[in-house]
Amino acid sequence: MNSPGVALADALSGKRDLLLPCVHCGLCLPACPTYVRMHDENDSPRGRLYLMRAVVEGRIDPAADAFQTHIDRCLGCRACEPVCPAGVEYGTLLEYARAVAVAARPQPWFIRTLLGVFQRPGRMRTVMRLSRWLRASGLAGLGAWIIPRRWHTLRMGLAMLSASGGGKLRRLGRRRRAAPTEASVGPPDAYSALPDTDDKDEVRPARVGLLSGCVQAGLFERVNDATGRVLKANGFAAVTPSTQACCGALHSHSGDLEGARALARVNIAAFEGADVETVVVNAAGCGAAMKGYAQLLADDAEYATRAAAITEKIVDLSEILVRYGMRKGAPIWARVTYDAPCHLLHAQGVAEAPLEMLRSIPQLELVELKGSAECCGGAGLYGITHGELAQSIGSDKVDAILETKAEAVVTGNPGCMMHIGAGLLFRGAGIEAIHPVELVDESYRRGGLY
Amino acid sequence: MSAALTSEVTADLQAIVGEQWVITDPVRLLAYESDGLTAYRRPPGAVVLPADTDDVSQVMACLAHAEVPVVPRGAGTGLSGGALAGPDAVIVATPRMNRIVHVDPENRLALLQPGVINADLTVAARPHGLYYAPDPSSQSACTIGGNVAENAGGPHCLKYGVTSRYVTGLTVVLYDGEVLRLGGLGRDSAGYDLTGVFIGSEGCFGIATEIEVRLLPIPQATRTLLAMFDQLEDAGEAVSAIVARGLLPAALEIIDRETIQAVEASIFAAGYPVDVEAALVIEFDGIEAGLDFEAEEAERCCWEKGAREVRRARSEEERLALWQGRKKAFGAFGRVAPDLLVQDATVPRTRLPEVLRAITEIGHRYGLRLANVFHAGDGNLHPNILFDRSDADELARVEQASREIMAVCVEAGGTITGEHGVGLDKRGYMRMVHSRDVLEVMRATKKAFDPWGGMNPGKVLP
Repeated sequence: MNSPGVALADALSGKRDLLLPCVHCGLCLPACPTYVRMHDENDSPRGRLYLMRAVVEGRIDPAADAFQTHIDRCLGCRACEPVCPAGVEYGTLLEYARAVAVAARPQPWFIRTLLGVFQRPGRMRTVMRLSRWLRASGLAGLGAWIIPRRWHTLRMGLAMLSASGGGKLRRLGRRRRAAPTEASVGPPDAYSALPDTDDKDEVRPARVGLLSGCVQAGLFERVNDATGRVLKANGFAAVTPSTQACCGALHSHSGDLEGARALARVNIAAFEGADVETVVVNAAGCGAAMKGYAQLLADDAEYATRAAAITEKIVDLSEILVRYGMRKGAPIWARVTYDAPCHLLHAQGVAEAPLEMLRSIPQLELVELKGSAECCGGAGLYGITHGELAQSIGSDKVDAILETKAEAVVTGNPGCMMHIGAGLLFRGAGIEAIHPVELVDESYRRGGLY
Repeated sequence: MSAALTSEVTADLQAIVGEQWVITDPVRLLAYESDGLTAYRRPPGAVVLPADTDDVSQVMACLAHAEVPVVPRGAGTGLSGGALAGPDAVIVATPRMNRIVHVDPENRLALLQPGVINADLTVAARPHGLYYAPDPSSQSACTIGGNVAENAGGPHCLKYGVTSRYVTGLTVVLYDGEVLRLGGLGRDSAGYDLTGVFIGSEGCFGIATEIEVRLLPIPQATRTLLAMFDQLEDAGEAVSAIVARGLLPAALEIIDRETIQAVEASIFAAGYPVDVEAALVIEFDGIEAGLDFEAEEAERCCWEKGAREVRRARSEEERLALWQGRKKAFGAFGRVAPDLLVQDATVPRTRLPEVLRAITEIGHRYGLRLANVFHAGDGNLHPNILFDRSDADELARVEQASREIMAVCVEAGGTITGEHGVGLDKRGYMRMVHSRDVLEVMRATKKAFDPWGGMNPGKVLP
């Protein structure tokens, strides 16, 4: 294999065919959260593609401030993809552009350190243990309150950590109440501990693999536990191969494609060994990354076919639950709203399944969130690395959530849960961001399904 | 005119609009070297992003004082190169001026800043049962300011008319920063119709900074038909037959085989049959009663002209999908070829079949891939030439063919642009359609607004 430096420099040029379909029509501009706030075409998908093309054509140096800034400032939300008539594979191109940008000018030390941690399970566990201690002791929450705004990175990091704690779910929607509008409320035939009969034609896979994830395993163990229980209640036995690693999403988004490939190879081997036909992922960012393994390893002689095979097996948790029909639990008399994770909606094209999952919960009132399809500003490490802009985007999201008067906001990605959670925390809103499976799990628990 | 975009001038601009809203870094200026027509590339000297009329006025005064020309730009979706500036000119772009000041349902009017996106206006008007009628295919991204500059049309302009029919008042900033208020609620008819003169002036007269538009009630019902033909000319004949029968469809659009295949391969696939030579989309709207009659009559016209199949959109979803497919066709060509030249000529409707035949022949003769997707009801053709810019020989053939297509349209009694504007691209064709005297009057009109000649120089007039 080439040295990483050379491979990266060539990476974007090798993708010229992906760049050519952009005809500069501009239909992507209004879909881009950074363009609508920055108003600079360099902060639009079309503008960024133009910068990439300029690098490929040798018109600009990838070390140039403009290339670095604007490629870095992209959220990677991929909201531009579903509005692009030419079908430009923006997400893939962005990863290559990031690789080129990083090769031209290394990232700040703390990003490199962080990415390194995610590649080493031992260190990851230590960091997560420390994080959980900070969270449990209340120091994270305290820090988020007292640390001045100008130390944004630390303040935001601690707030996100604090917000990841959860804890209000058990009290949510316990009291029976009249449903305000019929249309938005889950099935009224309520409370039944009996499973729906499986009337779908497809054969339900008995064994499925489950990605534990790193943030998910470290900070959202309760979501992974709930996932296991809900899968089991619906007839799937989940196996979690112990050799699996981080999915590599943060690495490819940050331009460390070699790091991402190394992790992908580990996961491919791990899930091949688990002998499963389906691999379930409960974090949108990880799911999107794993569905991209085929593309990521397309030029890898040994792994290309294996990557393609794994890619076929990846499903989001909501997809598998909804596809085979879900059991019903006890009612939850609560008003919630749903925010679509970009990497579920735009990257994976999964729009309805999480909503259906929520509609299966009796009496749950699901209210529409204005701008649900727009990024919350979390975007992996973005909330920490691009403080001001991320907060402006996040603040609009929190406004929309509060407008719904929901008692919880539901979203299926740890990054979004933490970023939105932190935003809610700063506002003192008193509501939480929770994963859809947590609500289903709670409904099952109250219904005595376990 | 000695243009001088010195660092003092950019400092003055920064003092007016704020440092972050002036772009001077040459790398960042590359994104502004083209609009929706990538055949021309010219990076501007700077880009300024003002916030309101006052900003624009001060910016213009500053630039006029420094003798630096100005090029207005909206979302940069234009297809005639009208928003391009050279290195000695400054782009004044409107995306920050994106506020809908108010929607006034009693008077069926809305007051907007120029950076408001066309489709967003309809979203804001819909709760009042109203909508904004002109619907250019780029309406999900293009701005009202750009629509005013180009006097934009769209598929439904067949029945409803183009932008000029809907703009009732304008606030305009002239080259020297002077602010004019033209037309407006209740005072639009005294004296010369300067609002009308300004609309379609392609940024050569000034910059519109506030726009008052008329809204329409949303039609009660629609009928959308899709007729399939084995000959492109037959579809053209059917269009004439429908109009000759005295029907007034809201839209009559033809999409040819090449276009259908591009659209159906994109995410906006709408179920257009990929094996026909042409599809004709016919839409009627208005009061429910009578629509079925009109639809049946139109259907009969299609059968008479040899349609292979005619079907109706069964649901609103299906109707919207057909329109999405039609409107996103331009971008969808990106999958087919790296470069695209979309022409925009208008011919008398009755001459459509022969002009289509001639265009097809020109394509064959030059060995070029041509795709037709157009507003057939208006006789507004959009032949798209698909090519690869990196092939110099092909590029030369494209330019030659493009010129011949124009000549054919003009000879048939048509003109060189239906809605995309003259801009940079069609300046050379102006003498084909206008006499020297007409061009002189145009020049004099331009002088009345812009005596110095600093507004969007080098556009429109030959």
